[in-house]
Amino acid sequence: MNKIFRIAKEEWRLWLRSKVIVLATLIVAVLLTTTSVLTVNRVASEQSQRLAQQVAAEETFFAQPDRHPHRMVHYGHYAFRPPPPLAAFEPGVDAVTGQSIFLEGHRQNTAMFADTKAAADLGGFASLTPASLYQLLLPLLLIVLGHALLLRERESGTLAVMLAQGQSGLSLATGKAIALLAVIAIFMLPLIVVAIHSVLRGENALTAAGLVGSYFVYLCLWGTIVLAASIILKQRAVSLGALIFIWLFAALIVPRLAINASSAAIDAPGKIESDLVMLAEQRKLGDGHNAADPAFQQLQKEVLEQYDVEKIEDLPINWRGVVASFSESELTDLLNIYAENRMEQEASQSHLFNLFGLASPAIAVGSASRSLAGTDLATHHRFLRESEALRFDFVQSLNEVHANELSYADDMNRSSDPEAERRTRVNSAAWRVLDEFRFVPDSASDRMNRAAFPFAMLILWLVLAGAATFLAARRVRV
Amino acid sequence: MVSDLLREIRFLAKDRGALFWLALAFVLSIIAVTFGVTEVRDQQRTIAELIEEDTADRANALKGQEDWGGAAYYAFHLAYAPPSEFAFAALGQRDSSPWKHRVRMLALEGQIHQADTKNADFGLVGRFDFAFLAASVAPLLLILLLYDLRAAERTARRHDLLVATAGSSRKLWLPRALVRVLALSLLLLIPLWAASSLVGTSGSVIIQASFVLVGALGIWWLIVELISRIDASSSVLLTALIGLWLALAIIVPALAKVAIETRQPLPNGGEMLLLQRETVNDAWDLPKEMTMAAFLEEHPEWRDHAAIEQPFEWKWYYAFQQVGDLRVKPLVDQYRAARLARDHEAGMIAFLSPTSFVERSFEKLAGTDAASMIAYEDSVRDFHAQLRAFHYPMLFREEPFDRNLLEDIPGFVPSR
Repeated sequence: MNKIFRIAKEEWRLWLRSKVIVLATLIVAVLLTTTSVLTVNRVASEQSQRLAQQVAAEETFFAQPDRHPHRMVHYGHYAFRPPPPLAAFEPGVDAVTGQSIFLEGHRQNTAMFADTKAAADLGGFASLTPASLYQLLLPLLLIVLGHALLLRERESGTLAVMLAQGQSGLSLATGKAIALLAVIAIFMLPLIVVAIHSVLRGENALTAAGLVGSYFVYLCLWGTIVLAASIILKQRAVSLGALIFIWLFAALIVPRLAINASSAAIDAPGKIESDLVMLAEQRKLGDGHNAADPAFQQLQKEVLEQYDVEKIEDLPINWRGVVASFSESELTDLLNIYAENRMEQEASQSHLFNLFGLASPAIAVGSASRSLAGTDLATHHRFLRESEALRFDFVQSLNEVHANELSYADDMNRSSDPEAERRTRVNSAAWRVLDEFRFVPDSASDRMNRAAFPFAMLILWLVLAGAATFLAARRVRV
Repeated sequence: MVSDLLREIRFLAKDRGALFWLALAFVLSIIAVTFGVTEVRDQQRTIAELIEEDTADRANALKGQEDWGGAAYYAFHLAYAPPSEFAFAALGQRDSSPWKHRVRMLALEGQIHQADTKNADFGLVGRFDFAFLAASVAPLLLILLLYDLRAAERTARRHDLLVATAGSSRKLWLPRALVRVLALSLLLLIPLWAASSLVGTSGSVIIQASFVLVGALGIWWLIVELISRIDASSSVLLTALIGLWLALAIIVPALAKVAIETRQPLPNGGEMLLLQRETVNDAWDLPKEMTMAAFLEEHPEWRDHAAIEQPFEWKWYYAFQQVGDLRVKPLVDQYRAARLARDHEAGMIAFLSPTSFVERSFEKLAGTDAASMIAYEDSVRDFHAQLRAFHYPMLFREEPFDRNLLEDIPGFVPSR
């Protein structure tokens, strides 16, 4: 055991003596620390800003004066999605989707003002986040550090000596692995600090630990691949070239090809496209603004029978409000069918993309980390669903006020009779029907469940690479 | 020189490592343009379908209308930016900025920010298009092809002999490197040229794109050449080159992006919409003369027709819609100017990073850069102005409703 540690220590001594390696490591460390600090600050300020905007949106809604309830339906409301604590490490799709959505009657809007739309365009992967540094840069650092781990002994002729002294290839490789593991452990520190910080800000400890664990497995996997290359290949330059090729594929090429493939394989219609298909159907439902629309004849008959009256004028409730409520509910059912369909298509695209984790561990760790951080597509979809539920609730509550508190005659004459118009304004206390909306991350277990599959892929990668390294190390000859 | 080149071609033909990198470049280029062409065709098909559905839906919506106000309220109009004939090579901002809208006569600011973009994962990871291949991957392949030229000969113990027999070292290394750079450029460009002739890209665009690619590879060649003069082992050289690639391709752009976005802050989009919504909604409760006065400042030509007598009149309704837009115009202009300023500064910084430069140049040629997306949004605004210009005379002069005139409603014409 002592010998193994001595081998590891010797490796470290050599690294510390190499100016190139010390410089490269320092640059990566500085980059990682600055990016982490910047992202933590940015996410914290965005979180408090959006929370404040959510509260302000509710307060302005409540503060609206007395008016016709249908006006409030069109006045609408906003839903904001504050970033979860772990977004400080992995902002995920947050920058792409936009984080606020306008909610109004008769419509489902999209989230607006995505950061990427207005970003300075510098090409490919211009935005650095702590997560992308861990996914792209640290493997490269491990390659630079480790591509000659065992090769070095072979090249300098010390391998023969060590083997002759009775060291097995396996114990040599173990010593080298421990040296690299120590590097990985040190570079886990920024992530651990961010994870602890997020726990202090209310993140679940288990998911934070899961995130740390995923990246630890990911970096160990790269360490193992690097070690294997240094055992199997016989020339430094070849080993470095081969490892860079693997990195190029895993980190740059496969993820983007996976996007191309999932986009080409599954056609998820855009919102305008599915809206247009839906609109044809919607016409059949009638327009909620026009209570005389023939599509409401059936409803009218039922309501008249229910209240046992002859004419809608005799109803104890406001027929226009009934119609508004009925058509909103019909329309929402229809809108939701199409929205669900669109989200399902997108989810299956993302699922297909995740499957490419079998070809690139960078995809697997990315999916695991977005799921654990609560910044994945599934979370965005839940945001869309919950904001839709909020929309439907306040619109229907206002329609109920419309039906119960306004007289039909006034409602019909309000466009021509100023007195009737005044009577159709209900007291602003009614605006309290709006529910408080605070978007919270998925429960820890939900996020862990979603991360389980990509995490399993990472473990599979590690086991395979570990087995290959083990077999190669056992057969080390001069 | 020619004989030197022929010799080096024969030499390259036996270098399995180099052939592997070249073959990889060729295959990746084919894959990139194939996916690009497929995606562009997909977008074109989508647009064709949308135009058809949109026309049918509008006809349907107008069918039951009995006044000009209602017709304007219910008729949506499709606006879109068709992909250019070079978009297959650089899809650029089309994944993160919307390129299609459906708008109507209501306040435009409530409609134009709707983002009908694709799956968010696409925008996050990015596509493997030709621009990415040329900007980011090709330099790495070039480094892998060139870093080892001298050091490999040293390892094979032929270096000094070769230099001595060649007479000058330039006569030896220049043709050897040149052959590799040219081979890489050609293998990347051939699929691009093939796809361009297939989709009918204009010759000048193709020539410019080819120059950008070859020029960028030339710069990387120069970098490799300078670094490999250092007398160090090939693995140290490769490490240094990868480090430089990382700095130029990832770190400089990322730092520049943070700096630019801090220097050029955007007005908060949420506040922009909030202000617009408040203005539009407050108008219901304000005296109508106030709204009309604000409207007349922009449209004095309707002064004689601006009296509102009923609690509800369509011309007043559309007037306060436009007043809402006018109210946020300063913020909207600021937002647009900040986006343009960001893009302008990014264009400056791109001279420091060949990767950013190539990608931006390709996006510019393909009309998928930020400026093109902003130009598209401008064209949507222009179209909305045309809609207003069509409807205002009908509404303000209270022209009798004439179904036949509806055929003259302006349609959106894409600027390309």
